[in-house]
Amino acid sequence: MSDGFVGLDAVVEDPADVARFAEVVERLRPRCEALIAQYEESRSAMLPILHVFQEAEGWVSPAAQRACAEILALPLSVVESTASFYTLFFREPVGKYMLQPCRGLACIIGGAEEAMAHFRERLGLGQLQTTDDGLFSYEEVECLAACDRAPCMQVNLEFVYDLTNEKIDAMLAEMRAGTYAVAPAVQTSQPGKTWSVKQDTEKKSAGAQDVSSPNDPGGIGDRTGLEMLRRIESDPFPVEVRPTRERLVVDGAALLSGPIVVSNGEVEH
Amino acid sequence: MALEKVLTAGIGELNLRDIDVYRSTGGYAQLERAVKEMKPGDVVDATSKSGLRGRGGAGFPTGRKWQFLPNNGRPRYMVCNCDEAEPGTFKDHMLLEETPHQIIEGIVIGSYAIGSNHAFMYIRGEFKRGYEIFMAALEQARAAGYVGKDLFGTGYSLELTVHRGAGAYICGEETALLNSLEGKRGEPRLKPPFPAVKGLYGEPTVVNNVETLAYLPHILRRGAEWFAKVGTERSTGYKIVSISGHVQKPGNYEIPLGMSIRDLIELAGGMRPGRKFMGIQPGGGSSACLFEEHLDVGYDYESLASNGTMLGSGAAVVFDDTTDFVKAAHSLVRFFAHESCGQCTPCREGGSWLEMTLERILHGRGVESDVDMLVSVSHSMTGINLCPLGDSIEPFLASVVNKFPDQFYAYVRKPKTAVAV
Repeated sequence: MSDGFVGLDAVVEDPADVARFAEVVERLRPRCEALIAQYEESRSAMLPILHVFQEAEGWVSPAAQRACAEILALPLSVVESTASFYTLFFREPVGKYMLQPCRGLACIIGGAEEAMAHFRERLGLGQLQTTDDGLFSYEEVECLAACDRAPCMQVNLEFVYDLTNEKIDAMLAEMRAGTYAVAPAVQTSQPGKTWSVKQDTEKKSAGAQDVSSPNDPGGIGDRTGLEMLRRIESDPFPVEVRPTRERLVVDGAALLSGPIVVSNGEVEH
Repeated sequence: MALEKVLTAGIGELNLRDIDVYRSTGGYAQLERAVKEMKPGDVVDATSKSGLRGRGGAGFPTGRKWQFLPNNGRPRYMVCNCDEAEPGTFKDHMLLEETPHQIIEGIVIGSYAIGSNHAFMYIRGEFKRGYEIFMAALEQARAAGYVGKDLFGTGYSLELTVHRGAGAYICGEETALLNSLEGKRGEPRLKPPFPAVKGLYGEPTVVNNVETLAYLPHILRRGAEWFAKVGTERSTGYKIVSISGHVQKPGNYEIPLGMSIRDLIELAGGMRPGRKFMGIQPGGGSSACLFEEHLDVGYDYESLASNGTMLGSGAAVVFDDTTDFVKAAHSLVRFFAHESCGQCTPCREGGSWLEMTLERILHGRGVESDVDMLVSVSHSMTGINLCPLGDSIEPFLASVVNKFPDQFYAYVRKPKTAVAV
């Protein structure tokens, strides 16, 4: 659904689910109205209303966003645009346990890398992925403000402190057995393998080049870059650099990292 | 070291989440006194005289911030900023969960001072437990008549609305927070106009940090002079410092401003046995790192600023000689790249560019010029964005690249694997 740029108005849903969700909306409507009453302008209640839907449904489905738009008398695009800004609104179904280890500075220097590697290995998951059985979703998140108990994490927004591999194993076992202290989230739809923006799950490389093989250095050192470097070195034309870019240019190699092939004093992209 | 606890008094000993326990420590007495016996102007004066400065990061004098509100007869709003997400900061998290009534009392006193009848508490989305604790406390406070209509029969009414965020660091920036409160994307606004003139719903608004407001009852109880006498001349009073990283007892410590960094580290139990101090990031992710030569610098706004860094939100991350500063820098750069709202090109593009460059360096694929590029790109991102987020990468990154260049070059000078051309 979020894969690509398909608008929510294009999403077609199962009629049975539409009927079920209509009841959900009617059940939640009084709570939403009460939230709206707390603000001078009704639009202010958007985040609280989306929280209400996510709590009830486990995610903010296209139907939930439509309902929010209807309740607030706003265009759907406004709701979608706002919901998509906030990382805690899941616009795809997610696992019953949202595992969010912290990758903030204090956790990183306090052993978070080991904990995250352990999670990834035990779950077979990468960033923003969900297990096939729909039990776990995994996201390494930014600083959770519990740096004195690093490495820390949240499970369905409840804090877990001082992570160790043993603690992680015990936690996962309890979740699988259904005995874990934190309640599993409501799950009204079967989750997919990933649930959020695609770009975050892809390998990155400075210079925006694909890194296809482990021997490929990526970015300015990859084949395109080396080819450009070879051409510049062999071509006699003078390379002029505009003052605004000067600070960025450290040497010929770095010059290639940006789209600045210069001729006649003009920048060509 | 015997330190006086103010905001943190009773935490860990008493159940301050309960209104009766909080009242038994003198809680809500100042709220009642302020609303019944003081004029709003008296509260503003006391706050100005105390020298209290914003504890959220900018350190702006609180009393002066309030005085910027125009006298235009329009409704005014008080917003309490509990969107704590600065890497290394965890003081508001503790205050929210342990002493919610202290925050409510501060909000009501602050609102009374500026003449606001509607206050908002913006709580970071991740603090679900804190939100529940605060809501329970608010219910108690309402029932006891500390929040609501016609407080103590004085005619002064205050409504307090609690608003949960949903995972966006940028909403800690006051104008982004206001947009988020209005149900919009949390994108910072162009300033001026400042929120004091055009804030929430276009009306005069004050945004104060949790810790700032929580000090108000104590300033009223013990007098502005008491607060002003503590600390240094321009950095008065107490401050909760969140100390984390390689110290023996990480945690929140309430200190008089001006204490040396050396003492601060001692307070947190000192370095781990056999480990050497390498650096400290004194004021959250946006502050430059200080090193051994700075150990005697005072922990206050001016001393830190004159050493090229800042006090910020009071988050001190301590590094010992096991620290990989390339990984530390990568963590912070990734944070700012991830949290950029995307409005301003330098911040949006520069952040992810730096993140990718650092990733390449860490994977042994970097070239030597990458290290210089980190400094030059982060510098070229500064001063040209709507809000300070884009300026936040440079201080730490540049300071550790300059101090520990060998750590960075060690990664790029590793023998490269063969490149297939």
